[in-house]
Amino acid sequence: MGLITPLFLLGFLSLALPWWLHRLETQTTEREKFSTTRFLEPSKKRIHVQRKLKFLLLMAARMAFLALLALAFARPILFKSADAVVTEETVHHMIVVDTSFSMRADGKFEAALAQARDIVNSMADDDIASLYAASSSVRTVAEPTSNADTLLTRIATLSPDKGHLDLGQMIGALDGLMEKNQTEIAMHLIGDFQQTSAAARFADMIPDVIAGRPLTLDVRQVSPQPIPNVAVESVIVESRNLVLASARAWNQPDEEREYTLTLSINGEQVQQQTIRHTGNGVFSARFPEVEFAPGDNRVDVRVTPGDALPDDDLRHAVFDNSPPAPVLLLTENAESLGVTYISAALATAPRGYQVEPVDVRDFDPRIMQRYPWLVIEDIGTITGNLEAAVRDYVNGGGSVFAAAGSRTNGLSSLPVLGNSLNGPQLGPDGRPIHLDISRIDNSHPVLRRNSGWGSVNARVLRPTLTEEDRVLVAQNSDNPVLIERRIGNGRLLFFTAALDNSTSDLPVKPVFVSFMAEVARYLSNEQLLVKEQIVDSYLQLAQTGGASGQVIDPDGESLLSLQDTTRAQDVPLNKTGYYQVFTPGGEVLVAVNADPRESDPTPMTAQALQNWQNAVNGAATSANATLVVDPLSREAEPDAIEIWRIFLILLALLVLVESLLGNRYLNIKTGSL
Amino acid sequence: MATAPNKSNAFHLLDPKVLASIANLELVAKAVVEGFVIGLHRSPKFGFSQEFVEYRAYGEGDDPRYIDWNVFARTGKTYIKRFLGETNSHLMLMLDASASMGFGSRGLTKLQAGKILAASLAYMASRQHDAVGVMIFADEILEYRPPASRAGSLQGVIHTLDKAEAQKGTALDKPMTRFQEHIKRRGLVAVISDFYCDTEELLENVRPLAMQGQDVILLHLLDPAELEPDIKQSTLYEDMETGHAIEVSPTYMKKEYRERIRAHIAAIEKAARGMNADHVLVNTGEPLERALHSYLTFREKRG
Repeated sequence: MGLITPLFLLGFLSLALPWWLHRLETQTTEREKFSTTRFLEPSKKRIHVQRKLKFLLLMAARMAFLALLALAFARPILFKSADAVVTEETVHHMIVVDTSFSMRADGKFEAALAQARDIVNSMADDDIASLYAASSSVRTVAEPTSNADTLLTRIATLSPDKGHLDLGQMIGALDGLMEKNQTEIAMHLIGDFQQTSAAARFADMIPDVIAGRPLTLDVRQVSPQPIPNVAVESVIVESRNLVLASARAWNQPDEEREYTLTLSINGEQVQQQTIRHTGNGVFSARFPEVEFAPGDNRVDVRVTPGDALPDDDLRHAVFDNSPPAPVLLLTENAESLGVTYISAALATAPRGYQVEPVDVRDFDPRIMQRYPWLVIEDIGTITGNLEAAVRDYVNGGGSVFAAAGSRTNGLSSLPVLGNSLNGPQLGPDGRPIHLDISRIDNSHPVLRRNSGWGSVNARVLRPTLTEEDRVLVAQNSDNPVLIERRIGNGRLLFFTAALDNSTSDLPVKPVFVSFMAEVARYLSNEQLLVKEQIVDSYLQLAQTGGASGQVIDPDGESLLSLQDTTRAQDVPLNKTGYYQVFTPGGEVLVAVNADPRESDPTPMTAQALQNWQNAVNGAATSANATLVVDPLSREAEPDAIEIWRIFLILLALLVLVESLLGNRYLNIKTGSL
Repeated sequence: MATAPNKSNAFHLLDPKVLASIANLELVAKAVVEGFVIGLHRSPKFGFSQEFVEYRAYGEGDDPRYIDWNVFARTGKTYIKRFLGETNSHLMLMLDASASMGFGSRGLTKLQAGKILAASLAYMASRQHDAVGVMIFADEILEYRPPASRAGSLQGVIHTLDKAEAQKGTALDKPMTRFQEHIKRRGLVAVISDFYCDTEELLENVRPLAMQGQDVILLHLLDPAELEPDIKQSTLYEDMETGHAIEVSPTYMKKEYRERIRAHIAAIEKAARGMNADHVLVNTGEPLERALHSYLTFREKRG
């Protein structure tokens, strides 16, 4: 906790309490109105000051007590000035230890720590060093210091995590850290340097700052030889009862091994298969007739026997075995072609939707509240009370996908939305014409994964757009085909032609199925929760109806405060296993696995590493950098000492002082009565 | 005619606390004067009889009711009758309504006491057919009513007194200058104040009145708590006029303050003597009898 946190400041406000109490105390001198003070003289100051001093001592003791209490809770840090003075001979050793997932393999990390300690122990007297942990991000473990003990202590605190190291990103992060250095830099990179950690562009692995100062790169590979490894790569559920699992082995080319793949559903082992596999490559297993519980299921596949990197032998997946979600479809004719197209498209969506067509003439609007979203086949059929009810439904957070059927054709303005209608664009012969799709907003979630809109023909009604309308798909002449409008807390997607293949061929195009699936995901707020993620990715929680949700990590810890559960936000996923996400729409499981690139033990070749070092060191030499060091500059950052324990001791002493002063004051009062 | 109250009741009515509880100032004044008069031995010099003495030419400010119309019919000149005890002079009441006059420790502020005293004097003067005027002042003139003896003028004076409220500071220069500008005729001037001003300032402002021939009486009103304060512990006193606060000790208030206030009273008295004016110290915690006595004595001397 820092000193400017709201809680600390709130605690500091309590200092006002003794001040206020003592202010009352000093008012014990009676204040009275008097006709004139011209004949009065103040009491002798000696008496006055003595009396006030007694109060002030007590007040000071009390205020100091509260201040120390607040400070103790803030857990402040005292910075001890560093003992290192930077000179022209000083070398700054940047020790960067790879803490990515692959370093969990037996012996790798211990070897890396030993290397780090060697560097610290071999530092010259004038040298300083800093320590960094590199994985998905670069973390500063120790600021530059010449204190070897501090560095060795910090090295001992390092441990591998489950992230993926990208050397290009790592060098970019170190660039930023090096910018403020004025010394010669010796960068020591310690890790396993897998091929999969190399940057896509070699240039990304060259520090940008070397043109400004002397820099040497020292790459220390802790495991130059590849170690055998096997990892479960993927787990897929097909046809709601078949599990396909695939694993990859990194062995000697001609080495044959026997592997057992074990399937567990919701923590219970259900099937097992043994496979003989030779050399490197993928092997897979099929687990048929698997029974799943309703809702999200935890699907775990483990490969045995274990190896030097056991953490990737288990892979987590989530299968949603929920029954198809009901979708309300308002129509005038439940047997129409439009209903058939919509129902078929939604039924085949991955999530599975069960369309419930309802005749608008017999519809009770109160039913709408049971559904997170609904489809209106022809918005022209929504009139009178129903129109007001639909508007209220959207205002309150519901979502609607509507199309313009034959009933809309004859209207001058759109129900619910209110846009005026201009009718279809006519050709020279006075007949409606088809125009090509010219613009698609691929940034919108319902269109992000869709291709094929270019072949859609539509004879659209041309609503006059308002400022609130966002055009997602448009034809030539800027005729809108698909528009979105946010109304209150909800939204309405409007397709400006019919869905019965009369004025648009969209329903019979392949894109329609995926489009409707995305519409369903978007309007039901499912689109943000990807149920399988890799470590260090983010879970996007959307806000729905004043709440976003709570996230429980694989260890059972709640990640969000009560206040945070009301806000849309991204939650980092830095553990492997299952995260439970409680959203307004229900409970969802998210499976998190390590990045599969970390399982590949193939190291960068010694030649590649040598080339890298040469490239960096050569570039630094060619830059002919000269180092100008301000002799008075103190490079090293101060060491931090937690002083809250000292505050606790002072608190205890102050309690004693306060009691003594308080008793003394009380005695005086008693004696005066 | 109202039944005359017995003597004990009459004196009881002079008790300031009782007077303060009577809301109607005119009634208070009447009660005070009636009670006071009953307590007096009848004396021609102090008398309020209606015994005719002489005629005098009518002058401005005289009550026309006293014009003798028979004489007017015979001579064509306006004369008014004079009676025994009637002095036919003007009484100007100058009441200080500065903020310090709002002080009072026993349920009666100095301003209230001053109002009662002024109303009583006005009532008494009106019974003697004197023209009565009033000026309410603080650091400037707040209300002014010139002397008159016409019917209803007493009620006017009492009404003016009644609505006076303590405010602002004290300054005598403006009221006195204004008085000198408007009142040219010789008469009586009763200044009712706590006189929290410099003696020099008082002399400077009141002396011209004496020089003008006015007979001045200074009715110096002080509260018992101002004369003999008695506090048990250190007290923070806030000046009612300036707001300035001073913390004083009981010891100081018992000794040094009392000496200072006595010195101030003596200085005021000396200054009054120096300009041939009367000075009467009125303790608002005591009955107003002494003040009324002093007024009559003063009136007798000057009348």
